Amino acid sequence: MIVALQVVVGGLLLGAVYALFSSGLTLIWGMMNVVNFAHGDFVMAGMYLAFLAVVWLRAGPAVFTGVAAALLFLFGTAVYYGLVRRVMRGPVLSQILSTFGLALLLRYSAFWIFSANFVTLPTVALSGTVHLGPVVVGTAQLVAGGAALLLTAGMHRLLTATALGSQILAVAEDRQAAMLMGIRPDRMQALAWGLAAAAAGIAGALIATFYYISPTVGESLAIIAFVVVAFGGFGSVPGAMVAGLLIGLIEATSAFYIGPVYKDVVVYALFVAILWVRPQGLMGARL
Amino acid sequence: MLLEARAVSKAFDGFLAVRGVDLEVAPGEIVGIIGPNGAGKSTFFNCLAGEDRPTAGVVRFDGADVTAAPPEAHARLGIARTFQIPATFTDLTILDNVMVGAFVRHPGAAAAREAAMRVLEFAGLAGMAHLRAAALGTPGRKRLEIARALATEPRLLLLDEALAGLTPAEIQRAIALVREIHGRGVTLVIVEHVMEVILALAQRIIVLNHGEVIAAGAPDDVVDLPEVVEAYLGRRLARRHGDGP
Amino acid sequence: MRWRLALLAAAALAAPLLVQGSFYHRVLALILLVAISASAWNILGGYAGQVSFGHAMFFGAGAYMPALVYSQWHAAPALGVPLGVAVSLGIAAVLGVPTFRLQGHYFSMATIAVAELIRILVGNWRLLGAAVGLQGPATGRTLWDLTFRGSVSYYYIFLGVLAALLGITAAMERSRMGYYLRAIRSGERAARSLGVPARRYKLYALFLSAAFTALAGSLYLVMIGFVDPDSGLGILVSVQMVIVAALGGAGTLFGPLLGAAILIPLQQTGNVLFGGGGTGATYIFYGGIIIVLSLFEPGGLLAIWRERLAPLGGRWAGRPKGLRRAA
Repeated sequence: MIVALQVVVGGLLLGAVYALFSSGLTLIWGMMNVVNFAHGDFVMAGMYLAFLAVVWLRAGPAVFTGVAAALLFLFGTAVYYGLVRRVMRGPVLSQILSTFGLALLLRYSAFWIFSANFVTLPTVALSGTVHLGPVVVGTAQLVAGGAALLLTAGMHRLLTATALGSQILAVAEDRQAAMLMGIRPDRMQALAWGLAAAAAGIAGALIATFYYISPTVGESLAIIAFVVVAFGGFGSVPGAMVAGLLIGLIEATSAFYIGPVYKDVVVYALFVAILWVRPQGLMGARL
Repeated sequence: MLLEARAVSKAFDGFLAVRGVDLEVAPGEIVGIIGPNGAGKSTFFNCLAGEDRPTAGVVRFDGADVTAAPPEAHARLGIARTFQIPATFTDLTILDNVMVGAFVRHPGAAAAREAAMRVLEFAGLAGMAHLRAAALGTPGRKRLEIARALATEPRLLLLDEALAGLTPAEIQRAIALVREIHGRGVTLVIVEHVMEVILALAQRIIVLNHGEVIAAGAPDDVVDLPEVVEAYLGRRLARRHGDGP
Repeated sequence: MRWRLALLAAAALAAPLLVQGSFYHRVLALILLVAISASAWNILGGYAGQVSFGHAMFFGAGAYMPALVYSQWHAAPALGVPLGVAVSLGIAAVLGVPTFRLQGHYFSMATIAVAELIRILVGNWRLLGAAVGLQGPATGRTLWDLTFRGSVSYYYIFLGVLAALLGITAAMERSRMGYYLRAIRSGERAARSLGVPARRYKLYALFLSAAFTALAGSLYLVMIGFVDPDSGLGILVSVQMVIVAALGGAGTLFGPLLGAAILIPLQQTGNVLFGGGGTGATYIFYGGIIIVLSLFEPGGLLAIWRERLAPLGGRWAGRPKGLRRAA
């Protein structure tokens, strides 16, 4: 019984991190109809930036997370202005290829710079465990999960309860109308990319505190993001939040009861099942 | 009755864009649909074309229930449509664009090509058959849009603001083309903003506002009705125009 | 145009005779093998515009089934070829049927997920060799084992298959299916309004593509003699098909062959010069090419030739497409 609870808590904490980076993917998709095939590699970049911040700046968790967030925010807006904005005007084929090309570029640049070996984040700040009643949880996982939950909720609030957020949503809903109201769609879209990338970067920095860092980690994280977004409904940040937690839970349960090798298989098979049965997801609008 | 729409409604996440619209079109008619922006004309149009499925109501074509039928089924049955912003296949040639339409009646490539050339000649585009469609400007694309739809040999052609954004001279040419199409026995339903076109072509019009039909009848009778003027200009201006309360 | 085709065919037939040395023969054979799989990908990705990043799953099915048939029943691998195609089509159905009624992104995302899923499953399945993989016959027992010394025999087998594939593609291009697929790629919404049963035709393209990709996988097994989860089902196998087709010209008949003829020699020379470590740089390069193509010329090198260079060349380059007479 306690073991089951252990699995559940671990799964939910990781799921919160999944929710964090997936919410960025769903925001961009819902807003611009662009799927960022490089999203997993944005998370990977966050992991490596955190690593470098620790190695070069002896940064603590708050600082290295901040570094990852800031640099990825800038990168996200640069990707929008330099690549996405142009390909959005062209055929969907080009759009899909463009972010995939970016994924390859990021992934193999990391491979080249850091080689294929795994590294871990050399930090002692978040080591150790915490006791939540009968359940034992790694400090890093707890902090990561908690931070992710807060940040995702924060992103949702930013979108729904602030002036800036409503401008972003306005552009997502109707570009022309938003323009007529004096909102600059370009700016808002760039901002959305920045936010999404920053969220991914933070998620990466958080994961790096308890998981090993490698250049190809983006491959499987991207698929997790796809599953979460499909499950939660494309364009829905609250959907991504709920779906992320659920996927984390399902993954942890599969890993424990079936075997760690098969946890990915279960999640990927779930993706196919969602596409067959309910492609609009839990909270998605019409497709 | 060629086309019958009964109590067609369409809701999007709770917002009712079209509310219980009725429309009957007899073979050989030209019917116009007008209304201010946001009146639900495009949504209703999409319901007729099979692109949006009505949340309530029925659409019948020549007796067959097409309410839930997809666009490709509509085309096979004989309903063709154009898009407000021409959805030209830009990487195909003009001839190839029209051939795509012709294939629904002529499965073989040679026959489809011949049929497509005939349509291009009718539409006045034959000389440019082998140019990339991307080379056309807006008037050319709108004309191609119509030609392509014609290639499916429809009995009913739905034109969605096909004449918007054209110069007066181009409008006259387009009106002439539409008249010729009508002359060949095609029934037409036209959504239009340009009043001149509606008055020139439509035998009968319905006026939509806020998703409902607020007036119907012959164009000359309908356009001066107070509720119609009010829908376009708003109550204050309508009063100043001299027709309001 | 006909004389250019004849010239190409003559060059292709003569190529192994014009170069000496087993290394070069192997490169030629690999060019054709990659051209086959990229041309197969092209039917779905280039013509129909449905981008798959997981075609390795079909390739792997085609490579593993012959190897399985040999390792389990000591039968000639060739007997496993239809099995590979069948498995491939089964996967295609599971993938395509639900996703082709949704926006294109879902299909692309699903190809990545399903390919990975299969790779993990196969990598843990003892029957299929798990992480070690499966081997074909080391030496030929009969002609049907298709084990040849040197690569020249494989070259001609591959040439035959490629010619057949391109022939089928050319016939498709000129038929209703060709027009429908290009219409779907160009604007599915408009295509459907003109009567194109989009979902059905995308499935046709997918099945054709999957079947020939499986065949390419079988040919790979026959020549290389060995397959494992990475070489048969890894994402880099999928990426190679995409980049080769896209660079040469996605949606054109000879684009994939052109892409293969450029990239494979580069890749092979790179391997010789830099060893296996060069792999990282290769994919950085590929990523860059894909980005540049998507920004400037999604039609690849053949499109650049046709649109920008050929009109300048005048008579020698052939008349620009816009002015060609209707066939």
